[in-house]
Amino acid sequence: MKRIIIADDSATARMFIKRCLSIVGLGDAELIEVENGKEALTAAKAQDVDLILTDLNMPVMDGETLVKWVKANPRLCEVPIIVITSAGNPAKEHQLLELGVYRVLNKPVSPPVMMDALSEFIDS
Amino acid sequence: MGEQSMYNAMMTAVSQTLENMAFMEVMEHFDPDYEIPAQETVWTSLLINDPVQGEIRLAMSGALLKKLSCNIFGIDEEELTESQMNDILNEIVNTVAGLFMTNLLPDDQQYKLGLPEIGEDELPAAEPGTVIWKLMTGDEDPIFIYASGPALVAMNQ
Repeated sequence: MKRIIIADDSATARMFIKRCLSIVGLGDAELIEVENGKEALTAAKAQDVDLILTDLNMPVMDGETLVKWVKANPRLCEVPIIVITSAGNPAKEHQLLELGVYRVLNKPVSPPVMMDALSEFIDS
Repeated sequence: MGEQSMYNAMMTAVSQTLENMAFMEVMEHFDPDYEIPAQETVWTSLLINDPVQGEIRLAMSGALLKKLSCNIFGIDEEELTESQMNDILNEIVNTVAGLFMTNLLPDDQQYKLGLPEIGEDELPAAEPGTVIWKLMTGDEDPIFIYASGPALVAMNQ
């Protein structure tokens, strides 16, 4: 079973992401919901995770800082990170990809977009 | 994608957000003088911190927020909590503001948004110079957006 962290301070956004994951065939994944980057980092350190889905604009620790922490950690650096944000434009996307983010998706995320982003992950 | 007029940038942002989140169509309100009654208004706001400083406010009727919330969460009105409704209002303004800035700015220009905050008191009167979009859903429920701050408003050309 895949284990996936969903980091977003909005319960609504997490609900949309969970709905998309279910539609694209990841309904049986173990989902760990957290409200900020710090909680996501703590959860990722505590157990093996297969994927991190994160917002950018969050209190306590934002998504970009989470990405930097994950990529700097030898045990976590290979975990794919998908950023799902309302604050993404081509310049931001380029910067995040340079940091090692796997994909950047714009809110509101839809199942077809999620399916496209996760196709390799689902097949693996 | 970017460098749209401010009017189009916001119209596209609101339409895309509400259509994708709640399957709701949005259009200009048929009455430009319409005001949402103060006692029925719920609102939230969010700061734009960079590259210009400004504020986006989103206001709608409590009835529309309930309708949206039921639609999005797929639950009955009796099951809705205030926390869920506030969260949806904040997520809508967050998504609208992000899309608005993406549509407004050149593609190579990054921006920073603050965190949304629910308005606890009556919606304040719009500051002079505020740009206002008076919109409504297909069911004629009003949604108003306010963009304020001299630097942000100066982009309205």
